[in-house]
Amino acid sequence: MFTANKKKSILYRLLMMVLSVSSVILLLAAYRAVALANPLLLPSFDQIGERFVKLFTTPIKGVPLTAHVIASLRRVLIAMGFAWVLGILFGFSIGWSRTLNAIFGTIFELFRPIPPIAWIPIVIMWFGVGEFPKELIVFIGSVIPVVVNTRSGVMYVEKQYTDVARAFGASRFQMLKEVVLPSAIPSIFAGLRTSVSTGWTVVLAAEMLAADRGVGALVMRGWMGNDMALVLISISVIAIIGAILSFTLIKLEKVVCPWMH
Amino acid sequence: MDALKKCLEVEHISKTFYNNKGYFTAIDDVSFDVHEGEFLVLLGPGHCGKTVLLNILAGLEEKSGGRVLYKGQEINGVNEEMSMVFQLLSLMPFKTVMENVELPLKFRGMDKKQRREVAQHYIDLVGLTGFENAYPHQLSGGMKQRVGIARAYSVHPEILIMDEPFGQLDAQTRYLMQQEILRIWQEEKRTVIFVTNNIEEACYLGDRIILLSSCPATVKEIFDMSALAKPRDIVSREFLEIRSKISDQTDLSM
Repeated sequence: MFTANKKKSILYRLLMMVLSVSSVILLLAAYRAVALANPLLLPSFDQIGERFVKLFTTPIKGVPLTAHVIASLRRVLIAMGFAWVLGILFGFSIGWSRTLNAIFGTIFELFRPIPPIAWIPIVIMWFGVGEFPKELIVFIGSVIPVVVNTRSGVMYVEKQYTDVARAFGASRFQMLKEVVLPSAIPSIFAGLRTSVSTGWTVVLAAEMLAADRGVGALVMRGWMGNDMALVLISISVIAIIGAILSFTLIKLEKVVCPWMH
Repeated sequence: MDALKKCLEVEHISKTFYNNKGYFTAIDDVSFDVHEGEFLVLLGPGHCGKTVLLNILAGLEEKSGGRVLYKGQEINGVNEEMSMVFQLLSLMPFKTVMENVELPLKFRGMDKKQRREVAQHYIDLVGLTGFENAYPHQLSGGMKQRVGIARAYSVHPEILIMDEPFGQLDAQTRYLMQQEILRIWQEEKRTVIFVTNNIEEACYLGDRIILLSSCPATVKEIFDMSALAKPRDIVSREFLEIRSKISDQTDLSM
């Protein structure tokens, strides 16, 4: 019975793989059909290929595609680094201490529902259009999910675990280090995953409004120049990098939390 | 007789919970002694306040009245001489078997090398050699409970409190674990307070059985089982006689 099950599961997985590959092929075919029927709506694959090569031979704003990608990634990674460290520390503090939660929790709840993009005018007015304001906006966007998830992970640690620690005489610090922190990790990771996608979304929005370099700037340039191929290339790059970022995080989670399935 | 030295005295314990709808008495004036080295079973129907009583003994819950004496001294709060096997297995899912067993020793500040040795001894004792680096989710129910037992033993407690430790196990595993707990108890002599709602389990394990009534919990009767030698034959005439005697006295919980 065991082998039969296994056999079935291999077949099943193969079928699922075929299904997902053919759905992508179908999507591309549909694209091609639309592009052929109305070239004004969508550029053909040939045009996109040509445009892609041109991105390297005649760079936009003096730099090739890779430099734009690096500019965007740099902003996201710097901002997210700060967001993770400060967000986890802050979330932990207000989750652990009722006093700190009373002082800062309410203020945080007031700021939480504001979409990060809404801060762009204020941030530009205060700090201009350099690197820092863009990083600040990404920071604002990506710190919120980290704080929310860290706080709830710390607050809602299961009573049965803290009971065990208390019964065996753990000090408050030992409780924090041995029980609360590790049991909050899965929840913290959920926050980090959300922060990556939020951060990546926000940086593009910020770049579309005011930037010389970055993938968001390329989208904007394509739009303004009626260069649909450039827009589509930029969108594909955004999708690929977003996927790589979340894949990396899932791998990292497996290393940090070996007890999760 | 050495075996009759009192090691824990429970005097007139009561516990009432209050909430916005009124109050609810879970334990009403419960008194009993625990003798050194004995295997004492608290037998009572489900939801009769047994876990609350144990949590009071372990210092996890405040009592509304009465007192608990350990070797003549009144105790309040968590006591280092007592250790507990929990009803919900309560193993840390993010720690390996070894780390779970070591945890209470870590809390008491034992250094790493010594801790490893002690934990290994108890892991071997409960028959989990080779599973030191497994995580709880990789173990079966019976194995998880063995980890819980090893963890409770690791701190060399004078008194081991076990709160329906086999309640979640299937019947086969339960029989096996009952034999195992007797073997472990005979190898590492400690006073055990074992809570169950299963009459057969109580008769199989207990030196004495304290029968608790249904809500609120009171002591109904105390049975001395020392006449029956262990391991007991659960289909012998004496066993079945005492079993039906206890069963006649038991309140039904449903």
